[in-house]
Amino acid sequence: MIQIFFQFDFLRYSLYTGMLIGLLAPLLGVFLVVRRLALISDALSHITLSGIAFSLLLGRHYSYFAGLNPMYMGMAFSVGGAIFIERLRNVYRYYKELAIPIILSAGIGIGVVFISLANGFNNDLFHYLFGSVAAIRQSDFHMIVSITLFVLVMMLLFYKEWFFLSFDEDQAVISGIPKKTLHFLFIIMVALVISASMRIVGILLVSSLMTLPVASAMRWAKSFKQTFLYAILFSEISVIVGLFSAFHLDIAPGGTIVMLNVIILLISLLLKRKGI
Amino acid sequence: MELLQQLTFLERGVLAGLIIGFICPLLGAFLLVRRITIITEALSHITLTGITAGVFLSQSIMWLTFINPLYTGLLFSLMGSILIEKLRHIYKGFQELAVPIILSSGIGLSAILIGLSQGSTVEWYNYLFGSIVTVSLFDLLFILITGSIAFLILIGFYKEWLSISFDQEFAKTSGISVRRLNFFFSLLIAIVISMSMKVVGILLVGAMVTLPVAASIQIAKSFRQVVLLGILFGEVAIISGIVSSYYFNIATGGMIVVSGVILLLIANLIKRGKQFVSTFDVLTK
Repeated sequence: MIQIFFQFDFLRYSLYTGMLIGLLAPLLGVFLVVRRLALISDALSHITLSGIAFSLLLGRHYSYFAGLNPMYMGMAFSVGGAIFIERLRNVYRYYKELAIPIILSAGIGIGVVFISLANGFNNDLFHYLFGSVAAIRQSDFHMIVSITLFVLVMMLLFYKEWFFLSFDEDQAVISGIPKKTLHFLFIIMVALVISASMRIVGILLVSSLMTLPVASAMRWAKSFKQTFLYAILFSEISVIVGLFSAFHLDIAPGGTIVMLNVIILLISLLLKRKGI
Repeated sequence: MELLQQLTFLERGVLAGLIIGFICPLLGAFLLVRRITIITEALSHITLTGITAGVFLSQSIMWLTFINPLYTGLLFSLMGSILIEKLRHIYKGFQELAVPIILSSGIGLSAILIGLSQGSTVEWYNYLFGSIVTVSLFDLLFILITGSIAFLILIGFYKEWLSISFDQEFAKTSGISVRRLNFFFSLLIAIVISMSMKVVGILLVGAMVTLPVAASIQIAKSFRQVVLLGILFGEVAIISGIVSSYYFNIATGGMIVVSGVILLLIANLIKRGKQFVSTFDVLTK
């Protein structure tokens, strides 16, 4: 049952990729939740869809883009979306929370227009939306490995600064931490991880891998570091079990992974009845 | 009723669109001032779960074939709104977590149900992104009835809502039952989402609620103006979206949202222009 994942290259790659994502997503997710930015991942994942759709559209008209991995364009759009959210927050100074629903709905809407221009309402799109076990190619895998390395190095370098910013922003700024630059770097990392995870988990479900394990971990953990450990543990369990069951039941892996996360969350809510 | 039966499929779609373009921004204005616009995204995603559950049940269990996915969608989004309140209570220090939790579990469950039920993926795209040509007579009736219910509730409680939205403490002391009104409000959001879904699609309902009001608040000088301009922008977005999607043969929901985005940009430009003119006036004086 499990051996089959090591017999075929594409399954092996998606298993490895899944495990890397299971590490990265909750790692960034903890900071997102603590900084009350959990929804930003939803907005960025939806704008990634427009990027992918745009790349598919270009691929139909220009042969140069046909060979390009849609992931790159998705990445570019999601980084652009991250910058745009910050701008919108300035524009709507009194209604800052509007920035996220605006980007979220605009992202999906523009995506739909591109898809329909590219006549892309087919099975491929479904894989982008809800994920697929067999979508990982070797080039995707290499890309995700380099993203993982980048994020891990950044985390090691700036962990203290982000930790400080998350818990006492004013004090952190006063003690000379460059808040804007670090925040921007962090959002870029979120955008990268989203576009990396999208192949397996699907655009609509990427954000849940960033929030759900953290929400469960918060019930168990007694310290900030423990929150990381529990969150990564939960998300690895859900990714691995989710991938296997999705393959054997022939359904989208995004669905099984997220539902396993929901089950873990429900168990944590039942077992640990403490107020947070 | 006879009048409705005589409409062609395109006229039905346009009429449905106009009703949605009216109700969505109206609701959106209240959500905006209460800072809970994002709740529509969560509830619309859980409506998708309801629809997939309805389709799945009607396919797999014989005596449930009569189930209309619209109703299960409505049911799920009602349950979703109650669950969000519950989760807000559980995660007291991190209330904003409730929305992403509901949003992602809604989509996750529907991904599984879509995988389990038969039927082509193309059918699902109609639910996800909307389609104006599939509005049946029954759908139009559903939209008309739920639309008027939503309108009546909004108008009936206009003053109470205004009071809650701007000063919850004051509303409480003046004897308004905030709890009950909050419940009504979630009910209202659920109703509006399930009525709009057929035309604009589940993933795009949030846009109809957010974008017109986000545009109008940049120009408007009072709450009433926010509502009225929002409705105007909503209708313009719907009409231009439908017309352009018809001529360019692009998905309707997408074009409606893109027109909404364009209106938002124009509104922001106007505001900026005004600011520029006023600073120019100050400088020249």
